[in-house]
Amino acid sequence: MANIAAQRIKREFKEVIKSEEVAKCAIRVELLNDTFTELKGEIAGPPDTPYEGGTFVLEIKVPETYPFNPPKVRFVTKIWHPNISSVTGAICLDILKDQWAAAMTLRTVLLSLQALLSAAEPDDPQDAVVAKQYKENNEMFQITARHWTNVYAGGPNINKDCDDKIRRLADMGIEEHQARVALSSYDWELERATEQLFS
Amino acid sequence: MDGQAKQGSQGGESDMECSDTECFDDYDYYNNDDNEIEQIDPKKTDIEYFSCESLNEEQVERLLNETVELLSNNLQITPSSAKVLLHSHEWDVPAIVRNYKENVSNIRIRTNSAIVPQSQICFRYITCSVCVTTQNSDKFFSLSCSHSFCKDCWMTHFEVQINQGISTGISCMARDCGVLAPEDFVLKHLARTNLREKYQQFTFQDYVKSHPCLRFCPGPNCSIVIYSKEIKAKKAFCSYCKTSFCFKCGIDYHAPTECIIIKKWLTKCADDSETANYISAHTKDCPKCNICIEKNGGCNHMQCYSCKHDFCWMCMGDWKTHGSEYYECSRYRENPNVAYESAHAQAREALKKYLHYYERWENHSKSLKLEEQTLTKLKTRINQKVMSGLGTWIDWQYLFTAAELLAKCRYTLQYTYPYAYYMDPGPRKELFEYQQAQLEAEIENLSWKVERAETTDRGDLENQMDIAEKRRTTLLKDFLDV
Ligand SMILES: [Zn+2]
Ligand SMILES: [Zn+2]
Ligand SMILES: [Zn+2]
Ligand SMILES: [Zn+2]
Repeated sequence: MANIAAQRIKREFKEVIKSEEVAKCAIRVELLNDTFTELKGEIAGPPDTPYEGGTFVLEIKVPETYPFNPPKVRFVTKIWHPNISSVTGAICLDILKDQWAAAMTLRTVLLSLQALLSAAEPDDPQDAVVAKQYKENNEMFQITARHWTNVYAGGPNINKDCDDKIRRLADMGIEEHQARVALSSYDWELERATEQLFS
Repeated sequence: MDGQAKQGSQGGESDMECSDTECFDDYDYYNNDDNEIEQIDPKKTDIEYFSCESLNEEQVERLLNETVELLSNNLQITPSSAKVLLHSHEWDVPAIVRNYKENVSNIRIRTNSAIVPQSQICFRYITCSVCVTTQNSDKFFSLSCSHSFCKDCWMTHFEVQINQGISTGISCMARDCGVLAPEDFVLKHLARTNLREKYQQFTFQDYVKSHPCLRFCPGPNCSIVIYSKEIKAKKAFCSYCKTSFCFKCGIDYHAPTECIIIKKWLTKCADDSETANYISAHTKDCPKCNICIEKNGGCNHMQCYSCKHDFCWMCMGDWKTHGSEYYECSRYRENPNVAYESAHAQAREALKKYLHYYERWENHSKSLKLEEQTLTKLKTRINQKVMSGLGTWIDWQYLFTAAELLAKCRYTLQYTYPYAYYMDPGPRKELFEYQQAQLEAEIENLSWKVERAETTDRGDLENQMDIAEKRRTTLLKDFLDV
């Protein structure tokens, strides 16, 4: 079985390299070992989304039973998205679970993830806090997601207001990422975030 | 000829002309006939009557196969394809046939499997998109969707799925293709016997679970399947391991309470278990002489061993007022002014109300267990009597019948409390609680008499049994809604 997995990954690796998406710099895969069990994936944030301009790194682990079972994929780059955990990078996507089909490939997975960044499914959330914000205060969600893209994925949009608030918490001795999480979770209200951090 | 024609119209399958009045006459005629030979319909006399059968695996297999055969003959499809359809349509043959006739092509795409190699005319080499090896086309197979993959990949696919507990839900390996693999296709590609067995075991379980008229017996280590045509919240009984359960929802039988209500109640009890814990004490003080009394029988009519005061274990009231018109122990008195009280007071009132019902629910459940112990003691006592020449085992048999009836009555009584808890206040609730109180009083009388069987005579006990059971059936007749 392991033999099939390696054979498939070898082939798929070529498939992605040759694909037109690579030509457009939209998706990329890189091998991390020569047993074809660990790969690094990359997807570009889709245009007209808060993720635009960012590059998101993925950890891809290929199980021994691949392709009869799906690869295990997780975001390494921190991201603010209803279907992706802002803490662990775990992804809620049907094709990575019960809707996986053996004929699918890494290319399918990466393109599906890119599609997920364009169209979130807040009713099937992985991160409840993000999903709540997405549904109840979408404007704030857009700001937060864009800010995270800027800080963690190299996106171009700097948000001075967000940076200022984080600096103010940092001045109180709060670690930067911790401050960002607290502010993001409380719609960038400084008082509520502070209260939560010090309670 | 005349008689046969009448029967035909009664069966409702004949097209012959028959006006409403004629049919009605026929109906009456047959009814009278029934009365003459005194055939008693158990459904009419026993509100709890439920006919169900305990089937073993072989019998279930036969029952399912009959339906499979019926459908596969009717639609001219393979038995395996028929199974796929039946499993996904709750074994409803008429609905499937109707569907099929309306939309033949659709159903065929979803079920029929083409187990023939893709290219029958000439051999050619193709690459399997799953394992990316190139092989001769005769190694390739597909389901009705024509997505073909090599036979080794099908095998591995099935092995992986079965090891994850999936059987009837195994689908094609192509992307976004939901076509299910029929049994014969799967079995054809499975080489290992243990996996074939596992697969058949899993499909069997899936079939039973998808069949509205079948239930696995919930008894420990029991493999019996209970069959009933009627899907009602009635008492299903496994004749093999003697377990009984509600046929509709599968948990312990719960008349007169409805399935959703009992589920709500049990969840509430589990959530509030800590609050309710303090009442699980086995000892209370005699309300007259304050001596500590331990409850070691099921009966709630207590007598203080010291001062001989008779009192009720539940409400601690004088037993003399129990069993009369004024029996109020089971009823909860709602505070009429609660709506005007503070939120805190309302919460306290809600807790008080819940505890009232929970205490009684819990107490009768404990009484049931204690009365089981009483039964064991009873056996020893009877044994002694028989040994010392006081009658034979057969003479004392009625005591066991009485104990059995007591358990049955108390069980129903226990399940009247969740029912009452969720009832809206009003005349119906008042009637319910009146009947509940009556039943409760007679049950305690019966329990008292069973525990002290040597001092009561048989006639008195049998009379008491009769009264208790009458109270129970009256309550069920008025309030059991199935
Ligand atoms: Zn298919
Ligand atoms: Zn293959
Ligand atoms: Zn059983
Ligand atoms: Zn039920």
